[in-house]
Amino acid sequence: MLYDEPRFYPGGDCAIEVELGDEMDFTINFIVHKLVAAVRDAKFEAILDLIPELASFQISYDPDLMRYEDLCREVSAIYADLGRGATGALPSRLITIPVLYFDGETEACIADYRRTYSEKTPDPELVCQLNGLSDRAALKRLHSGTEYWVAALGFWPGLCSLLPLNPRARIIAPKYNPPRTHTPKGAIGIGGALTCIYPDATPGGYQLIGHTPASTYDGEQRLPDFKDSLALFRAGDRVRFVPVDPEEYDDIKSRVAAGSYRHDIVDYQVFSVDRYLDWAKAQEAEA
Amino acid sequence: MSGCFTVVKPGLQTCVQELPGRIGFLEQGFPFSGPFDAWSFRQANLLVGNDRDAAALECQFLGPTLKFQSDCQIGITGADMRPELDGEVVPMWTTIEVKAGQQLVLGAAIAGARSYLGFSGGIATEPVLGSRAVFHQAGVGGCALVAGQDVPLGGGAGANEIVTIPADKRPGFSNDKRWSIEALKGPNDDWLSDETTEIFFSVDWKVQAKSSRTGIRLTGPEFAFSERALNKNADHGHDPSNIIDHGYPLGAVNLAGQTPIILVHDSPSTGGFINPFTVASAALWKLGQVKPNEVLNFRCIDRAEATELRAEIDAATRPEVLERV
Repeated sequence: MLYDEPRFYPGGDCAIEVELGDEMDFTINFIVHKLVAAVRDAKFEAILDLIPELASFQISYDPDLMRYEDLCREVSAIYADLGRGATGALPSRLITIPVLYFDGETEACIADYRRTYSEKTPDPELVCQLNGLSDRAALKRLHSGTEYWVAALGFWPGLCSLLPLNPRARIIAPKYNPPRTHTPKGAIGIGGALTCIYPDATPGGYQLIGHTPASTYDGEQRLPDFKDSLALFRAGDRVRFVPVDPEEYDDIKSRVAAGSYRHDIVDYQVFSVDRYLDWAKAQEAEA
Repeated sequence: MSGCFTVVKPGLQTCVQELPGRIGFLEQGFPFSGPFDAWSFRQANLLVGNDRDAAALECQFLGPTLKFQSDCQIGITGADMRPELDGEVVPMWTTIEVKAGQQLVLGAAIAGARSYLGFSGGIATEPVLGSRAVFHQAGVGGCALVAGQDVPLGGGAGANEIVTIPADKRPGFSNDKRWSIEALKGPNDDWLSDETTEIFFSVDWKVQAKSSRTGIRLTGPEFAFSERALNKNADHGHDPSNIIDHGYPLGAVNLAGQTPIILVHDSPSTGGFINPFTVASAALWKLGQVKPNEVLNFRCIDRAEATELRAEIDAATRPEVLERV
């Protein structure tokens, strides 16, 4: 649900959480990004940093330059001017990520966790059970059968939160409890209604279903697609997962190691929010 | 004029830090980083005539051994690591003149957890995403120092005279292993029962050994939740402490299940757990000096008091406080 008014919550004396709604939903996320862009454009000297998230955003600010109450009032006024609609069009890159579903590396990671927590259902089977999918092949088809919207980045440099754009491809999964202490770099996981790609070897809680050999974070900026940024994704990009076989997976892996791998990034499309929402509604009606 | 020093022994995670940290990249997942105890950090820079925000070293629990390749001034503040220069004890909180070839040894922290080492001219490592602050775990801006590494220094005249920070302007370290930490309610205090909020501000919280620049883990009583946490949209997640992924404020008391973790300078920028309380920015330095097994008591303050505390620390970290020796 999108709230009627933004709700403000102080995060200590230097941060504000602004909630716009309480769902993982494209429309709410799109309005978050629209509002964050407008707040950024207003160039308040007091604002140090902004984090757009699924249904909220965080403002880090200098309270000696602007008071909490004044900043909240300014943001409310900007929101009132913008309106609550999700409409318009924006340039959006489409990035293809090659995936080896149910690969050895993530299978080993799942097995390692289950040595301590034997009652844990293996991740792909758990996801199938919870989403009424007959087998791994059905999970792979569903997961790779939609474009995803980069809704937010955070938690770790380059870690993306991806929302499926086709409402029929929504897959739900609980997070690990307790979390894993280790996740392979490049692992692909599902948590809540989101997919993520682990940019680096980190702890984690998403259910693992595959692995990409393509980098989504390059701290040394070795690969050509990371010349301008350490992280591959930006909010508002779209992602499509393409299943690959072990041969192609190995080939990509060696090209990444050699520093010659180029991502498949389409950068000439404009994403129409209005047409997308009409299409999504039709998809849902059909389902 | 610029020089360098060589790392003989790295100590336990000695990192270059700088203020204000890495600003503007939270939305890509890069934390601010920067010194854990900014009060001591700034005073180390003041002692050597630097801008108070210049890049300097943060030494954690066990300090490094450094060999100077050029003359410079240094200033040592924060935790007492019994600094010795060529085997002679040297004072903290005071400008020290160092000659090329001399060796500085910092030992284990006696009081506090982190020492700061300022160098005239500041440290001149290459900034990454606009800052020299090191986020060690992800290797952003470099990593912790390693033996044999040369660390470049910038050109700087240094302080005109030997100066000191008067005792009443230094941060006061706890000597009974208890710390009073000022904190504010929010952003998600309405996810907890009123009783739990009262308890949070009245009991002892023990600092776990698994605490670092990525978070301070606490042990204490169980949390009880409010209707908002117990009866919510499924998108928020299964556990009462789950919320739809949101931004994590610096200093937030993050509740993952039943374990509170204070989010500090290298903590995740976002995540799916609630943050019922947030440590006041002027109290963050204390968390940099807290050791495992010490006890925290949270004192609930409002924004007006947080503003006063910020002003006090700001005044204590300006060149005007320096006294000639």
